[in-house]
Amino acid sequence: MYGWIWRHLPGNAWVRGLISLVLILAVVYVLFQYVFPWAEPLLPFGDVTVDGQGAGEPGAGR
Amino acid sequence: MAARTEHDERTDTSPPPPAPRRRHPVAAAVGVFGELLITAGLVLGLFVAYSLWWTNVLADREAGKQGDTVRSRWAEGPGALDTKDGIGFLHVPAMDNGEVLVKKGTDPENLNNGIAGYYTDPVKSALPWDDKGNFTLAAHRDGHGAKFHNIHKLKNGDAVVFETKDTWYVYKVYKTLPETSKFNVEVIQPVPEESGVKKPGRYITLTTCTPVYTSKYRYIVWGELERTEKVDKDRTKPAELR
Repeated sequence: MYGWIWRHLPGNAWVRGLISLVLILAVVYVLFQYVFPWAEPLLPFGDVTVDGQGAGEPGAGR
Repeated sequence: MAARTEHDERTDTSPPPPAPRRRHPVAAAVGVFGELLITAGLVLGLFVAYSLWWTNVLADREAGKQGDTVRSRWAEGPGALDTKDGIGFLHVPAMDNGEVLVKKGTDPENLNNGIAGYYTDPVKSALPWDDKGNFTLAAHRDGHGAKFHNIHKLKNGDAVVFETKDTWYVYKVYKTLPETSKFNVEVIQPVPEESGVKKPGRYITLTTCTPVYTSKYRYIVWGELERTEKVDKDRTKPAELR
C-alpha cells in the first residue's frame, strides 16, 4: 500500500519525501479537524454527568 | 567507494530495475494487511493525543475567551445580571486548576468549552444565592479542559469558592464519594441525603467521571456553604484563595 503510493509519486527521493510529508500532515489535519470530533461523542470516554444517558437525549429521565 | 559507484551505474550484468518484483498474492495480501494494522495503531495513537492534549488546547482557549467576556461585562459596572455568558467562576485551591467559568447546562457542547455547567436535568440545580438548595456542577475529568481532573485531591475541610459579580461564596467540603453509578441521580438532589445530611441547606455538589480516562463511574464531592463575602472594589480574594 505505502510502497504503491511511493512508487506513484513523481520526482526523486527528496521530492517524494516532501510530498509524503505534506500528505501525512493533510491526513492528520483531516483526522483532528473532522474525524475525531465526529467519533468522540460516539465513544464512552467523556460523559461526566449523573443522568445516566448519552449526549443529546434531554428529558429522557434516568 | 569504487564498488558502490559501479553498482549505481548499473552495469549490463545487473538485472534491469523497472521489472516489478512479482510477489506471491498471499504475501502481498499479508503485507497490505500489516500496513493497515500499523495505520490503525497510528490513528489510535493520534486519537489519544487528540483527546488528552488537543481538546485541552482548544477548550482552554475558548474558556479563556468566554471568561474574559464575563469579567469585562462585570467591569462595566451595574446593569442587569446577564447569566447567559456564565454566572461566575469556581475556584478550588486543592484542584490547582485556576478559575473555572460556570454556565447553565451540562450539555457536552457546553462542557467541551472547558467550563463547568450547573445541572438543569434530571434534577434542577439551585444557584448559590438561593436561600436553600444544592448547587450541582459537572465538568470534564480529562480532555476538553479537564477542569475537574484533580477532584480526587479534595479532602474534607477543603475550600470550594464560587465567585460572582458581587459575592464570594465559600463552601467547605464535608463528604466525597469516589465511585458511584452514573444512574445515581440521588447525589444531586436538593438535600443530598447520600452525603449524610438530612436538612435543607446551601450545598454544592461537584460531579465528574472516574476512573481517569474513562466514564465508567462518577466521582462526587459535596460541600456546604460556610460564609459569604461581599466583593470589594479590588476584588480582594477571600483568605482561602490567598
